[in-house]
Amino acid sequence: MTLATTTTRDDGAGPAPAPQPPEVTRPGRLVRLLRRPLSLQGLLVGGAVIIVGYLAVVPLGYLIHDTFLSADGNGVSFGAFSRAYGGNSQSGEMMLNSLWFAVGAAALALVLGTSLAYIQVRTDTPFKALFFAASLVPLIVPGILYATSWIFLGDPSSGLLNALVFKPLFGSTPINIYSVWGMIWVQGLHLAPVAFLLMVAAFRAMDPSLEESAAMSGASRITVLRRVTVPLLRPAMISAALLMFVQSLESFEVPGLLGLQNGIYVFTSRIYFVLRAYPVDYGAAGAYAIGLLVIAAAGVLLSAWLQRSSRNFQTVTGKAFRPRPVELGRARPFVGAGVILYFLLTVVLPVAVLVYASLLKYYAAPTHKTLSQMTLANYRQVLNMPLAFTALKNSLIVGLGAATAVMLLTSIVSWVVLRTKAPGRRALDLLAFTPIVIPGLVLGLALSFVYLRMPLPIYGTLLILLVSYCTRYLPYGMRYASSAMAQMSPELEESAAVSGASWFQTFRRVVLPLMSGGILAGWVYILVVSFRELSSTILLYSPGKEVLSVLIWEQFENGQFTTLAALGVLMVVLLVVLVSVAYRLGARFGLQNDSAN
Amino acid sequence: MSTRNTTLAVAVLLVAAVTTGCGGAVTTASNAKASGVYTQIAGLPKDQQRAKAKELAKKEGSTLSLYTSMTADIATPVADAFEKKYGIHVNVFRGNSETVLQRAMQEAQAGKAGADAVETNFLEMTALSDNKILAAFNGSALGKVEPTGKFRYWTASRFNVFQPAWNTDLIKPGQEPHSWEDLALPKYKGKVTLEVSDSDWFENVTKYWLDHGKSQAEVDQLWKQIAANAKVAKGHTTMMQFLTAGQTPMEAMNYTYITDRAAEKGAPVTHLPKSGKSSIPAFGRPNGVGMIKNAQHPAAAWLFYDWLLTDGQKELVKLGLTPSTKVPGDKSLTGITLVPFDVKGLSKDDGSWDKKYDALLRGVASVGK
Repeated sequence: MTLATTTTRDDGAGPAPAPQPPEVTRPGRLVRLLRRPLSLQGLLVGGAVIIVGYLAVVPLGYLIHDTFLSADGNGVSFGAFSRAYGGNSQSGEMMLNSLWFAVGAAALALVLGTSLAYIQVRTDTPFKALFFAASLVPLIVPGILYATSWIFLGDPSSGLLNALVFKPLFGSTPINIYSVWGMIWVQGLHLAPVAFLLMVAAFRAMDPSLEESAAMSGASRITVLRRVTVPLLRPAMISAALLMFVQSLESFEVPGLLGLQNGIYVFTSRIYFVLRAYPVDYGAAGAYAIGLLVIAAAGVLLSAWLQRSSRNFQTVTGKAFRPRPVELGRARPFVGAGVILYFLLTVVLPVAVLVYASLLKYYAAPTHKTLSQMTLANYRQVLNMPLAFTALKNSLIVGLGAATAVMLLTSIVSWVVLRTKAPGRRALDLLAFTPIVIPGLVLGLALSFVYLRMPLPIYGTLLILLVSYCTRYLPYGMRYASSAMAQMSPELEESAAVSGASWFQTFRRVVLPLMSGGILAGWVYILVVSFRELSSTILLYSPGKEVLSVLIWEQFENGQFTTLAALGVLMVVLLVVLVSVAYRLGARFGLQNDSAN
Repeated sequence: MSTRNTTLAVAVLLVAAVTTGCGGAVTTASNAKASGVYTQIAGLPKDQQRAKAKELAKKEGSTLSLYTSMTADIATPVADAFEKKYGIHVNVFRGNSETVLQRAMQEAQAGKAGADAVETNFLEMTALSDNKILAAFNGSALGKVEPTGKFRYWTASRFNVFQPAWNTDLIKPGQEPHSWEDLALPKYKGKVTLEVSDSDWFENVTKYWLDHGKSQAEVDQLWKQIAANAKVAKGHTTMMQFLTAGQTPMEAMNYTYITDRAAEKGAPVTHLPKSGKSSIPAFGRPNGVGMIKNAQHPAAAWLFYDWLLTDGQKELVKLGLTPSTKVPGDKSLTGITLVPFDVKGLSKDDGSWDKKYDALLRGVASVGK
């Protein structure tokens, strides 16, 4: 069965209304498209591939150049690697710490995000509205604030959880946030929304009749889950796991705030150290980044291998379906309680710490004295900041722009990767993933290097931030778009083509709408995280073109944790409103899809 | 169907709007006239320089681009005060000192100077100066600066003073440290926090100890004990948050102005013992100002340099900083025993102190010198 369908897919109906003679079977659709380079679709596909390639190649080229160029300026050298990994660098231990942390955080986030997505989409659980906040708030809160909130909650001696809950109830203080487990916990909770967003889209696009027929045939609920549901979701789960694993490897906020305390060093601690010293050893920083790149590349290849029999995952087919919620029955109150607990842990507790801190002049554990001195001064200060509105406007422009541009580009490119036999499509997939491991500062340097030398008015404007965000979030867009695409059976495109639709019509009226769940999820993710991107922004922004993350950083540098908390609370409110509007619009869009099926 | 068309149209429009709406590029044409302006001002008698710079700055369009690592709550009032005095609008780029250096270097290498004046930390100013990015200044304002604050292409505008800091609820009077050596005492086990990037402090204390009769072995032993007492944190302001919140009892080193400002807000932190007089040798690290060689507004840069060492000093004092000249009403050094900062040792540093400090924090043997 697989064989037969694969062949149909490869050289199946082309975009042209009239069936093409079989001479084009080998090169496939892309070549046919590009054979007419001036057609709309040729331009679109070619343009998207070129832009994505360009975005990814610039920082990668810069990184490789700095890493392998020997000190005298000509010739190739591996000296950077021995400086980075040799001597007393303890690289083995750091590698293990990094992997342990990243695997743990990705696993925790995957389990949490997937279970939540399942409960949200496929069951009749109570409190569905809470999922929305639970999926967004941890994404919105800047990492540095999220980690700091958890320090105030989980410090072994003075943390609120130990002092207010465990000490009085159990007489012990079991929680220690400054451990690898603490790091995994905070990072895992912070990442769970990535998995949640991806998995919700995947569950929505899944035909429950497969599960129903398994159940009819006598399979238990667990068996259905294990043998039908989970295997069907493999592309999305692999994508999510890969993204979160690499993102944990690459993140520094949690290891920096929690890990350093007890000397738990990871890769990024080394990169941070190397990049802040003067003279900067870009070679060594590059060598670390390339180490991460190798791990990430292995991940991409592994995920491609795991998805090799793509036909097995295609759940969006020509058959109509309407997901019907699973009735939880007696389990309903327990699931409801679990939802509440999760909501408390990921949203209420950290945000409560932020709200509490935002009402103080300086942070101190709650006592009668601090409670009596609460004030709204921090909010007044935020609203009186002369730059607050400019920064908000700029963040919105760049965030909306980057989210839209990345999702449009990656929808097209993931089509090329998954639907054509174009040579080099694997390489393109891999290339589009590389920006995820490039340290933000190196990305900033690469972009300023290129655009300072380009006559276009990009350096010193918001455009350079847009380019930077598009590059940085390209890997995320790719994962969201390609996991949505992988669920879709090509027969729908084929029937559109057979019915006389052009490539562009098919793409616009069939492919994009069917992918809309995944695209919207990716769009929301990019919009939200772009509000807090700092590591490349700080080098590239220009006076008068500040964005919100720069303001947050300034408050942080000023030592105004309480003002920062107020800003964080306002950001949470703003983005929750913004995203709920997007979902409202998306829901209308989605409804139309269902009826179109 | 129409919804889809609309969505697509909106998406395209959005991208287009972003593409056009982000305009307003900085003009980045290289300015060869800058050196001419600098030479012209430098060639005049000292009492005529300021007037000439004012005149030329007006011709330049009365704007100044300043790159600085001063925190926003300092940079903003400083820029406002300068603007008020000369009517020159200041565009401030704020970043940490490494970012300021990176950006200025990148722009200089591309021949497109974005900054006119730079104000940042010792190490980064030294790097800018070594890379021949700065222009020399010879105005009368230099007369007020101590010789230790003068460098070839830049001048100290303020000092960051290195002292321990502690939470007074957790370190009671009588328990405070009275010397850098005290940080190694067993009673502080688990109570000290070290900042991950404080290698300049590490170098200064080491040199001070060696100069005051300790052997290398004794010094190494002390550091080992201090590291064994300590946890590691990142960022001086972050550390201060945790100190004020009582999460940590004591910091091996923080800048006194950060401690003072937290204390002003009512936080239970200090760097002075009950007596009000600290005997711990305080190193004052110079942070300074420089003019960029290829600046687009060289005269404005000259005026800012001049102003920051004269009237600007009073502004810095108002903000609780330690000025580089004598300013009446400056209380930032009250109770502090100031000792020289090791400018020479750190100027010719090639990153080896960073590496040694990093090795100390990780508890591994240092490799090489």
